[in-house]
Amino acid sequence: MGGTNKESGHPAWRHLNKLSIVLFLVIWELAPRAGGLLETFIAPPSLVLKTLVEFYKSGELAGHTAVSFFRAGAGFVVAALISIPMGFLLGGGYRPFERVVNPVLGFLGQVNPFSLFPLFIIFFGIGEVSKVAMIFWVSFWPILFSTMTGMKGADPTLVRSARSMGAGVFTLFFKVILPASSPAIFSGLKMGAGTAFFMLIAAEMIGASRGLGWLVWNSQINFQMPRLFAATVLISLLGLSINGLFGVLERKLTGWHRKSLDGVR
Amino acid sequence: MSNVRIEDGEGIMLERRAVPASLGKTAPGKKEGAGSIFLRRFLAIHDLLLDWYGIILLLVLWQLCPTLGWIDGRFFPPPSTILAEGVKLVLKGELPAHVLVSLQRTLLGLAAATAVGIPLGFVLGGWFPRAARFLDPLLNLLGQINAFSLFPLFVLFFGIGEIAKFCIIFWSCLWPILFTTISGVQGVDPTYVKLARSMGSNGATIFARVLFPGALPSIFTGLRLGATFAFLMLIAAEMIGASTGLGWLVHNSSVNYLIPRLFLAAVTIALLGMTLNHTLVLLERKLVRWRVRNETA
Repeated sequence: MGGTNKESGHPAWRHLNKLSIVLFLVIWELAPRAGGLLETFIAPPSLVLKTLVEFYKSGELAGHTAVSFFRAGAGFVVAALISIPMGFLLGGGYRPFERVVNPVLGFLGQVNPFSLFPLFIIFFGIGEVSKVAMIFWVSFWPILFSTMTGMKGADPTLVRSARSMGAGVFTLFFKVILPASSPAIFSGLKMGAGTAFFMLIAAEMIGASRGLGWLVWNSQINFQMPRLFAATVLISLLGLSINGLFGVLERKLTGWHRKSLDGVR
Repeated sequence: MSNVRIEDGEGIMLERRAVPASLGKTAPGKKEGAGSIFLRRFLAIHDLLLDWYGIILLLVLWQLCPTLGWIDGRFFPPPSTILAEGVKLVLKGELPAHVLVSLQRTLLGLAAATAVGIPLGFVLGGWFPRAARFLDPLLNLLGQINAFSLFPLFVLFFGIGEIAKFCIIFWSCLWPILFTTISGVQGVDPTYVKLARSMGSNGATIFARVLFPGALPSIFTGLRLGATFAFLMLIAAEMIGASTGLGWLVHNSSVNYLIPRLFLAAVTIALLGMTLNHTLVLLERKLVRWRVRNETA
């Protein structure tokens, strides 16, 4: 997304481009003051901030956020716990088995999660389970596929050289394959987390009575614009921080991978 | 090593022995017997069908389980029921109508996003790279906004109608297309540009002959991403606020407990999505013939 060009030239440029965000915020703040439609429909940042602070004080913020996070977290963690081992099994080995199973997995992973949502509700009722199941489904596939890709992408030379030194299966797995595939796995985890959070909001908007998604939908129905904007801003910020968190984790745990590649190049 | 070949099935963990190269091949100088011809042909067909075994197995299981009562057939209808339902709806003309409506909405939003995103991407990436850098954090931020949380906003602005749906699809596709176009344009090897300029090309030629083809692979990736995302959002939008379309079909079926119709809608959505994706892949292969693709769709 976007360009990741290194800022060349004057160091002030690096900070200057944050100016665009500031500019956007200024426009956002001033636009509703112009009155009319803009005023009815847009809540300026100052109001949004005030609403958020009120939320925080009343404890509502914590409540809804906690519920949302619990749902997304539970689904995501379970998905990771199942898909990573499965990815190892599927990526590690027997080619004919892979060729049989992969098309099925590919098809299942393609199924639109929204069309499955009513099914989950029918199976599990309108409760936590259906939402967690939904999150599980949605995060399962990216993690599985990335793990499989990571496994396959492990440099065969490394594997063979380890084997030639007499490494057994366990050593091979933990010392060679796992580290080699961890960048891909982390990338999958990051994508899965982002998707999980995204779908969570959707699921909460369609059928829930608490949570951040519900907050957005409810605000819309009751035409409470500040609340709507506050919830949207909060959701976006949370999404960004989840992404950022995983990015940091990725860099810390797989930084060696990039460094080693840099040395070669 | 010459009489041993590493079979294609060398797995990282499981395969430890190489397969003797003589398997499946006749030794030179010997006449090939009928049996081994048959074996080779059989293996070849078996090889081709291998990809399908899994899906066939899945279908068979799916057909058997409800029919034999292992799974409640009311909640998990077998493919035969779903197909029957499908035929019924097609004959009534309902299913094609819904498919058309959904497809129309998706393509409209996608086309609009393309019409805006690609030129904008080129302008930002090629002509005003400083402006692109300036806007980068803002664009990244906007692109991160959960399209879902914007949906109520759009509904409030435009009411529950076609415009709100169009807007959300447009918004969802715009960002992938814009970002991939920008990175595509910026990723074009500057040597090519300098070469073209040194041969005296003017701006238009450089654009048409160097920049545009160079950015095309990246643009197509964005298109595919955008299309997938758009279709996803469309179904959701139709579930919440529409009276036609496949998303509405899903929602309506679930509310009225018409399970076979629900499954039918879900399957149709999946197939439609796959077709959309595949069409884009084919389009890309036609237009970007010169690029060697080493990844499958």
